[in-house]
Amino acid sequence: MDFVPSSDRALATTYDAHLMRRQTPSAPIPIKIIIAGGFGVGKTTTVGAISEISPLTTEAEMTSASVGIDDPGPTSAKSTTTVAMDFGCVTIDQTLKLYLFGTPGQSRFAFMWDELIRGAVGALVIADSNRLNDCYASIDYFERADMPFAVGVNAFDGHLAHDLDEIRWALAINENIPVLRFDARDRVSVRDALLVVLERALDHAVRRKPIRGDAGPVHMGLP
Amino acid sequence: MEPRGVPPYLSDPAATRPSPNCPDRPADPAATLALRPFVITAGRVIGDDTRMGFETQVSALPGARPARLTPEANAIIAICQRPISVAEVSARLRLHFGVTKILIGDLHSAGHIIIHAVDDESPDPDTILRVIHGLRAIF
Ligand SMILES: Nc1nc2c(ncn2[C@@H]2O[C@H](COP(=O)(O)OP(=O)(O)OP(=O)(O)O)[C@@H](O)[C@H]2O)c(=O)[nH]1
Ligand SMILES: [Mg+2]
Repeated sequence: MDFVPSSDRALATTYDAHLMRRQTPSAPIPIKIIIAGGFGVGKTTTVGAISEISPLTTEAEMTSASVGIDDPGPTSAKSTTTVAMDFGCVTIDQTLKLYLFGTPGQSRFAFMWDELIRGAVGALVIADSNRLNDCYASIDYFERADMPFAVGVNAFDGHLAHDLDEIRWALAINENIPVLRFDARDRVSVRDALLVVLERALDHAVRRKPIRGDAGPVHMGLP
Repeated sequence: MEPRGVPPYLSDPAATRPSPNCPDRPADPAATLALRPFVITAGRVIGDDTRMGFETQVSALPGARPARLTPEANAIIAICQRPISVAEVSARLRLHFGVTKILIGDLHSAGHIIIHAVDDESPDPDTILRVIHGLRAIF
């Protein structure tokens, strides 16, 4: 091989170009699930129970409406709020990484959610059976956004103030939206709750675009 | 996607900011980075840059050894040696998310960072199935 003496700089450039061709990094596909619910309902606990990193926080500037999403009148004032979002992740394999974003669930953050839910597969709405009101805004939002979701009732110390049927009735949600009981501190319980969300997400995605691969039977009760 | 204008201190090595007050690594990056969002972005605010979501993966181009950059830009390149989400860059460097997006956008325009945009907005059934199977298998 010819070796043409060259300056260090030129050598470095050639080497860099070589590296770049060989190792342009491929990144995992990020799959995003939103963990929503009222204050103190166990969102961060849920993320932390399953995440391979301890939950991190990012602060984002978001436009928020100062009125409830039920009443977005033409005069509704918008303001900018800094929102702290907790998140964690689970590496599925080298090509797939699951991200969980815990987000404040108050209705005035509805505008933030628009940015947050873009590209999300689904959401877990966490409910406290003593304070069901706190999750109405989340449920309402995801229903309107046509985002697949499930309601997870966090069984604080194994105790539910109402049984699941009563809770479903109180929330007045559609029959086909799963309402499940889970423990935010338990990894397997959180995993199972996420699987319910993912099955809803799969159902939703199949309606748009049928399964292409030979991925096994899917029993999703499609119409 | 139209690249944004490249700030001079990123595009031209000769135009690097003077270093005495601006060492490559601040003594306490967290403290330094958290306090100066508007200085860091030269007063710019987020435009309609929708390429980057919280989970969007970014990575430094291998072999890209930029000339001296701002401490924030250096910190981003250092942390992006493997693919990492924009949210994680923001959290680990204690930079505001919006600021992080602007800085990454600049580094992208200057050819130092790859933004791994995902084409399809909503994941397809096959991908979701892989996540389901993967989660079942992991725990
Ligand atoms: N006993 C018990 N405590 C719980 C459970 N889940 C969460 N907690 C506690 O409840 C408190 C609130 O939980 P977080 O996970 O911080 O709730 P959050 O929804 O992230 O709260 P905010 O971000 O402040 O809205 C914490 O002190 C948790 O340790 C549970 O299942 N049982
Ligand atoms: Mg929290």
